[in-house]
Amino acid sequence: MDKLGVFLCSGCGIGDALDLGAVDKAARERGCKTTLTNPCLCAEEGLQAIRDAVASGSLNGILICACSERAKAQAFDGLKSNEIGLYRVSLREQVIWTHPAGHEDTQALAEDLVRMGLARLEKTKPFKLLEDSIADTVLVVGGGRAGLEAARTASALGHPVIVVEKGDRIGGRLAAQVSILPERPPYDQPQPNPMPGLIAAVEADANVTILTAASIAKITGQPGQFEVCVATASAEQTFRAGAIVQATGARPYDARKLAHLGYGASPDVVTSHELEAMLAAGKVERPSDHSTPNRIVFIQCAGSRDPQHLPYCSSECCSQTLRQVAEVRRIAPAVESAVVYKDMRTPGLLEHFYLGVQASSGVMMTRGEVAKVEANGKLSVHLSSSLLGDQAAIDTDLVVLAVGMVPNSADGVAIRALHDARTRAQTSESEAQRKESAELAEKLADHEGTEILNLEYRQGPDLPTLRYGFPDSHFICFPYETRRTGIYAAGTLRAPMDAVEAAEDGCGAALKAVQCVAAARRGEAVHPRAGERTVPDFALQRCTQCKRCTEECPFGTLNEDQKGTPQFYSLRCRRCGICLGSCPERIVSFPDYSVDMVATMIKAMKVPEDFEEKPRIVAMLCENDAYPALDAAAARRVQLNPWVRVIPVRCLGSFNIVWVAEALSRGIDGVILIGCKYGDDYQCHYMHGSELANTRLGNVGETLQRLALEPERVKVVELSHEEFHRISTVLDEYAAELEEMGPNPLKGF
Amino acid sequence: MAPIPVLAPSPALRRMLAERGAGSAARCYQCATCSSVCELAPEAAPFPRRQMLLAQWGLGEQLMGDPALWLCHQCNDCNERCPRDAQPGDVLQILRAAAVEALAFPSFLGRLVGNVRATWPFLVGLPIVFWIVLLAATTGLHVPGVNPELSGLEGPFHYQEFVPHALIYIVYTLTALWVLVAAWVGGRRLWNRLGQHGARHGSFFAKLIPAVLEISTHRRFARCGESSLRRWGHLAVMWGFVGAAVTSGLLIPYLYRDSLFSWLPLPFAHDYPLPLDHPLKWLGNVSAVVLVIGGALLWKSRLGPADRRSGQTTAFDRFFLWTVLAVIATGVLTEALRFLAPPVVACTVYLAHLGIVLTLFVTFPYSKFAHLLYRTLAMVHQLMVDAATQAGVQSKTEEESR
Repeated sequence: MDKLGVFLCSGCGIGDALDLGAVDKAARERGCKTTLTNPCLCAEEGLQAIRDAVASGSLNGILICACSERAKAQAFDGLKSNEIGLYRVSLREQVIWTHPAGHEDTQALAEDLVRMGLARLEKTKPFKLLEDSIADTVLVVGGGRAGLEAARTASALGHPVIVVEKGDRIGGRLAAQVSILPERPPYDQPQPNPMPGLIAAVEADANVTILTAASIAKITGQPGQFEVCVATASAEQTFRAGAIVQATGARPYDARKLAHLGYGASPDVVTSHELEAMLAAGKVERPSDHSTPNRIVFIQCAGSRDPQHLPYCSSECCSQTLRQVAEVRRIAPAVESAVVYKDMRTPGLLEHFYLGVQASSGVMMTRGEVAKVEANGKLSVHLSSSLLGDQAAIDTDLVVLAVGMVPNSADGVAIRALHDARTRAQTSESEAQRKESAELAEKLADHEGTEILNLEYRQGPDLPTLRYGFPDSHFICFPYETRRTGIYAAGTLRAPMDAVEAAEDGCGAALKAVQCVAAARRGEAVHPRAGERTVPDFALQRCTQCKRCTEECPFGTLNEDQKGTPQFYSLRCRRCGICLGSCPERIVSFPDYSVDMVATMIKAMKVPEDFEEKPRIVAMLCENDAYPALDAAAARRVQLNPWVRVIPVRCLGSFNIVWVAEALSRGIDGVILIGCKYGDDYQCHYMHGSELANTRLGNVGETLQRLALEPERVKVVELSHEEFHRISTVLDEYAAELEEMGPNPLKGF
Repeated sequence: MAPIPVLAPSPALRRMLAERGAGSAARCYQCATCSSVCELAPEAAPFPRRQMLLAQWGLGEQLMGDPALWLCHQCNDCNERCPRDAQPGDVLQILRAAAVEALAFPSFLGRLVGNVRATWPFLVGLPIVFWIVLLAATTGLHVPGVNPELSGLEGPFHYQEFVPHALIYIVYTLTALWVLVAAWVGGRRLWNRLGQHGARHGSFFAKLIPAVLEISTHRRFARCGESSLRRWGHLAVMWGFVGAAVTSGLLIPYLYRDSLFSWLPLPFAHDYPLPLDHPLKWLGNVSAVVLVIGGALLWKSRLGPADRRSGQTTAFDRFFLWTVLAVIATGVLTEALRFLAPPVVACTVYLAHLGIVLTLFVTFPYSKFAHLLYRTLAMVHQLMVDAATQAGVQSKTEEESR
């Protein structure tokens, strides 16, 4: 943008603490012809003054120097468009609330921030809005409790729905149950299974097409424009879908791996699902001789919460066992049921159900570990460290293993790794690499043929999994989101849960899918940069096919052509800018966020000479957590270090190492990156952004040493939103470290 | 390796407990709040958490000889704080009743009193009928008239003319002998079972003394948080009975002092019935007053709806309480009515008194009365177990110091 206007707000005490005339002068010195000071920019008069100035000066860039961009967003966002850039300089939060009023350093900070804001606007480019034909249809994969709820929700919102079900009928595992957990007050009795009604309702819905005994042969394209090819027994059909809900559910853990619990050794050791089949048939009997057992022992956590098997809790088994106990009581009241549990977990109101079942006679429960189930002639369950004694045994006629759930997911990343390894094993030129690849392929062979979605994505045909095979991504704040835009996970596929939660999940994921279709139609990004309308531009003529961007994109936005050149799918993009950080050739730029832009902002800062003893620090703050944390600290009037100049970045993953070179070569003493926590419990909105930044900085250390600069001049700090109280300490400590190192030797060159 | 103990849950026991009101045990989820708030539970073997689980499972073998049942005084601190309303205090109360029944010799008498809800008219009525029949056979149920020769302080007539003392001696001595045998067997059974719950150290009698001293002040009962009323009522009733027993005990040598103490050169005036100003009469009357106060307090603590604090009152409790109250009431009335009512009324009440005392006596090993014996035994057992622990620690420290 070339015609810029600087609008200074003197409200909220800004005018008292700063010499706004001097700030105005600094703006004009940078070549800005239109400047205006107003006592309250966010009021209608202020906004009108801006509009008038924009109209009279034909401005295409607006710099609002008032409060943080996180405040008053609704008031100011209306001023910008794809033709007019707008940027906010936070004089309130970053300057007057966090620095002493009237001080020369405070004044210098305000002027620097305005210069940097102008630099940013200078590098902002107008852009064209995305316009594409967008399909309304929501594809639901899996016709169980969550899938049917998703279908019903999307249909009710006016979207055509196609349900693809692998089995011969819809209804999922829940349909096979004789009853369900209580869902209504007083929550103390099993309830009749509602699935037949739900199935009938979905089947009767003209908006919903159900394809049973079907699988997905291929999905290409992007949100709003998925081309889905479904194979049924008779034929293949192709249709367009706008968004996808994957609700492929979970399967019971394989009890054959539980030999110590007697499974396989005796036909009278059954899984909870096998018992359910009996109950559904109205029987309670020993499979060996069809006699009615006197006593049933239910073993909870059979293979669950066990590092040898499933390390996690499947969340519903305890309640399901209580329901089965109640059903056993109903069918065969004389049968005694004993439940051995690690912890009885009945979340929420299911506590009342627990009480209800406990109150019925013929039910015994104890905490305990089951050491083994002996099956020689008669069944004997050996307990260790139970409440009934360190060692105790109980004889029984039937053992029921409450097995946990394993998600019906496919690990897209692993499948791709398998395919890549196979290819390399064939084609690699190095003998060692061929051998190594063959070994890797052998290790990953289990993933052969597990594909569910069959996405034609460079990063693999299915959703990446997070932990234990559950394809969740933003597990902290954002359910249903996955690492593939427009594809939402719901139900027991996403996390272990009961039917009520699965239904809620189906509904939630469908709402997300509908939202995604609407956003695609407007050409906007979905969460977390919802509403963002710019997309990155790839200057492909300079591309070296290094594939870093296609590898590092957390959302699989980029495919590759034969040569390895990235193919960008704008509607898959979440606008995090990680591609921009990854590219060594710096060919990726957003119209309003680019390598050049941040470099220019760094250049716009005034760096005082060595003798002035005023160091300068560039702090790049992640907009998702660290930047809000700064605002939170400011709201509490925490005093911040005066040498620091903050540049918000979309994600630390978008950090390009050129910026370090730019800053240090200009005599800036240090660069600190503050971003989200990474590792197993990452908090990054883009999964690995802060981790990637850390890795990249590892590489930059050597370069700095060659320039006779300390690698410690660049630092990454993990900070979560609620740690705002730490932010001033982090900055002060870093400033102290830099002081110890002495000034940047490149100052003044 | 020793074989792993096989649990033998008894559906019958669980059904019985549920029928008698201990069904709330099923609600327990073993959080052990009860054991932590209990002031009486020994540290090494806290109750009633474990007993709740055993009751849930119907593990009678472990339960029936458990000292915890008797160390519990049913303060109901646990009832008050149980997050699941499982009422551990009440459950233990019912388990105690079940234990009394299980230990009873002969067992049919245990069952008879155990099912008191149905059998109480028989238990109360039979002794009265017995006395009527006995008197009809011996004295022809002769009711004495007013004797004008007696002074005002002596009262208008003698009960001895209605029921000869000899009959009382024979009936109650025989009954007492029988009760001693039955209590001895029950006590031995419990003592042996208690032995499976911890090793003991020291002699029984050496520990009996501190146990009795503790009981004499109800020191343990005083630690109960929730039921001070019951503690005072129980203390009064206990001492009232002790006083009444001492009175009766001293009365026999007094009555036969002529023959018993003929070798002593003492002037023996013939004054029977005892005049109201006689020290023995005083002792008896003071005991009666204490009994009435204690009985009233106990009664009051059981009045009103069964909330968590007072716990529930089962038929088993009610039978014993009412028997005790009836003994006190008929006893006091018997004494008063001799002066206030025509002999026929006074004699009828006296007959009822003799009957109800017999009920109390005979049912001693089978009713709640047995707690006198069983709780004492459990306390002695606990003292001996503590002594064993101490001895163990001592020998260990000695070893270490060596």
